[in-house]
Amino acid sequence: MPVTRSLQTLCRPALLALVAVGSACSVPEQYPDNRYQRSIETSDQAAATASAPVVQLQNQALAAINEDEYPLAIDYLERAIKIQPRNAWSWHYLADVYWRRGERERCRAMIERSQSYAVNDPRLDDANAALLRQCR
Amino acid sequence: MPRKPARRKPARKPASKARGSARAAGKGRYFAAAGFLSLLLLAIYLGYLNHIIDSRFEGGAWALPSRVYARALELYPGLRLSREQLAYELELSSYLRVEREPLPGEYRLLGASLELNSRAFDFVDQAQAPRLLQVFFANERVVALSDSRNGEDLAVFRLPPLILGSYFPQSGEDRLLLAENEVPDELVATLIAVEDRAFYEHSGVSPLAVLRALWVNLKAGRAVQGGSTLTQQLAKNLFLTPEKSLLRKINEAFMALLLEMRFSKQAIITAYINEVFLLQQNRIAIHGFARASRMLFNRGVDRLEANQLALLVGMVKGPSRYNPMTKPEAALERRNLVLKIMRQQGLLDDAGYERERAAPLGVPQKLPGVNPFPAYLDMVKHQLRAGYSGSDLSRRGLRVFTAFDPLLQRNLELGLGRGLSRFEQPELQSAVVIADYLNGDIQALIGDRVTDYPGFNRALMAQRPIGSLIKPLLLYGLLEEELTLASVVSDQPIRIRQSNGDIWEPRNYDRELHGNMTLYEAFIHSYNLPFIALGVNDDGLQRLAQNLDRIKLLKHEVVYPSMLLGTTAMSAYEVAQMYQVIANNGYFTPLTTIRSVTDQDNRALSRIPLESHKLYDQARMLQVQRAMVGVSEQGTARYLAERFGERSLAGKTGTTDDLRDSWFAGFSERLLAVVWLGRDDNAPIGLTGSSGALRVWADIMELQDFSAFKLNRDDSLAWLYIDSKNGGISKQGCANSVLLPIPKDRIPKTRSRCQ
Repeated sequence: MPVTRSLQTLCRPALLALVAVGSACSVPEQYPDNRYQRSIETSDQAAATASAPVVQLQNQALAAINEDEYPLAIDYLERAIKIQPRNAWSWHYLADVYWRRGERERCRAMIERSQSYAVNDPRLDDANAALLRQCR
Repeated sequence: MPRKPARRKPARKPASKARGSARAAGKGRYFAAAGFLSLLLLAIYLGYLNHIIDSRFEGGAWALPSRVYARALELYPGLRLSREQLAYELELSSYLRVEREPLPGEYRLLGASLELNSRAFDFVDQAQAPRLLQVFFANERVVALSDSRNGEDLAVFRLPPLILGSYFPQSGEDRLLLAENEVPDELVATLIAVEDRAFYEHSGVSPLAVLRALWVNLKAGRAVQGGSTLTQQLAKNLFLTPEKSLLRKINEAFMALLLEMRFSKQAIITAYINEVFLLQQNRIAIHGFARASRMLFNRGVDRLEANQLALLVGMVKGPSRYNPMTKPEAALERRNLVLKIMRQQGLLDDAGYERERAAPLGVPQKLPGVNPFPAYLDMVKHQLRAGYSGSDLSRRGLRVFTAFDPLLQRNLELGLGRGLSRFEQPELQSAVVIADYLNGDIQALIGDRVTDYPGFNRALMAQRPIGSLIKPLLLYGLLEEELTLASVVSDQPIRIRQSNGDIWEPRNYDRELHGNMTLYEAFIHSYNLPFIALGVNDDGLQRLAQNLDRIKLLKHEVVYPSMLLGTTAMSAYEVAQMYQVIANNGYFTPLTTIRSVTDQDNRALSRIPLESHKLYDQARMLQVQRAMVGVSEQGTARYLAERFGERSLAGKTGTTDDLRDSWFAGFSERLLAVVWLGRDDNAPIGLTGSSGALRVWADIMELQDFSAFKLNRDDSLAWLYIDSKNGGISKQGCANSVLLPIPKDRIPKTRSRCQ
């Protein structure tokens, strides 16, 4: 939840300070500077930033969707996912194509996958939520 | 049926003139009837021949092998790919390395870059024209990609895929078909000049040539010369046996006449060019100029040099006698004779003739292997069986597009070779599956330690107990209850009364008892007793059964306690499927070799879409993944931390009773690899998962430039330093302290002494 996350962000410096003096904190969540934090942040970055080939393929997919060329759009998006599988937008667009094709179950499955990679992107959260309503 | 009068005997005595004319009339009727009968028989005979022609010549005359394609390599800036790797991929795709500007199907090295001219290719979604492009590299990566014609930078380019193998017809014939408009004029002209100069004049049979051959054969007392036209040769090749008999010659002549009556000269010469047998490659017969040209010169018939064309045309007379690899001198002599004829017929000028005559044969010493990746092809065939019959695969010329990655396969084969050489056990067998667990692509596969041996495919068929590879699913089941990685469990003796009354006393692999510890600690050291103690109850066993059933790997209706020790047998492919869902945060994506299938005209027949099904809870699976990272850092696979340092990996070792099976399944950022070692006779190999399969796994991964495994974020988990012995909250730097994800609603209440 964004609110919780904001609170945690605010709490974290205080928490680290408290840990440093050996005190307890009521929410003892830590992201110390170690390989796990780095790995999680790298993972977040991969989900949020599309590389140039992925942007091009996503754009080609959107153009194909506009032309009602859904199989072609799926091909572009699957190629994009192979290049950058953790890009949450590619999964969202794929869900969108399946919704247009009337494949609601597959649409929902792709939204779930998109959400699993969606980090700090309210626009994508909203888009996924709106699409999920359509796919139900 | 003929009427009876035709068989009536003449009257016994001569009679009058009138009776004589009656007899003459009877004789006339006799001849008429006989003539009619002959015509009828001839008509039936011709109708029969015509039917044979119809069935083979028109619409699907040839059984075409299905081609299996590798994945199309996507080139883009940032791609982890060296110039050497790209050159290797191009060589495998039969690209020619040149020093000038490349034509389609060629490449050249330019400083630190590589310039290639891609071939035209019909992808499933669109046709792609040839394109000249330059690929720039730095630090083993593609850093830029541009169109050589206009300098335009490209974001991404899809390279046409290589053919990794074929499914051949039972006849064992391999060919590439040319359409009428694809046959080069030079080829037709040379063929006619050498084989049948009157081709455009005759109607299928050349009486003069037949008489000449007859005379020569009579003089020799046996059949030494044929007077066949190209059309007759085609009729013989297509419809008849190669025996030299009068009946066969008659059939051949009539069929040639029929072919000429029904089809154009261009259609006949095209059929001939597609049909003629030219090479033998082990058990596969190479037919047609197009395939032979690819095999010998690595290029299409439209780009053959005159000397190459002459060699192929010369081979028509005797593919075995003039085989350029086994009989180079005879082949060279024959080629030069054809070049001479080409000059005589005005197809070459004098200078051209001298130049071409001086050219070497230019063929490889050995033809490339037919199917160098048999285990992968076998897996493709197995997965195709759901939708296609054996006949479809071997006759219809299907195009099967797969996820096969030749670069990864090369690393797998090299790494496996190195790995197996550690053990000096000639009987030791292996199976390896490598997949991209995020999209389900099976990218490389090995089913035998001799990687190109097309025998028993162990990756798919060998069912072996998986030992402790079952533990990640057991751990998942325990996390579904109130346990966390910080929960304290007990490693102490257990006695279980089985349904038949026997007592079962399971043990740890090291036969030791380790007292109390966290679930995390028990997992990373793969201690059996805590997992059995926690899972042996009805709920625990049912949970394991349910979790296996979700991915269709529950193989027994009755669930029994020893399943907790991994007595269930699976293939390496099935283990890979189980670990795919673990590595992919609980999202199930079916592992597949196939992405799409088209017919020979590129009409899509089937397509395997990207699937994703959430079958397990992500937060729990993240905890399992963290424990598996612990295995590679501090547990039974800590060898990986020693070998790969900071590059974090996740995995699990597996060993079975008496050291009969050695397993390791592990994953990086995208790659999942499962390695099994064992013997076909199930004899002990003296290797644990850690001392055997893990080492081979590392040898394979070392060659692959992989990225560290990354844990996903999940806001329901808190990352806490935990004392791995007592499960209390600890802090960084304390003894036994490990950073673990703990559900926020199950944070331990106790604190370690250090804290």
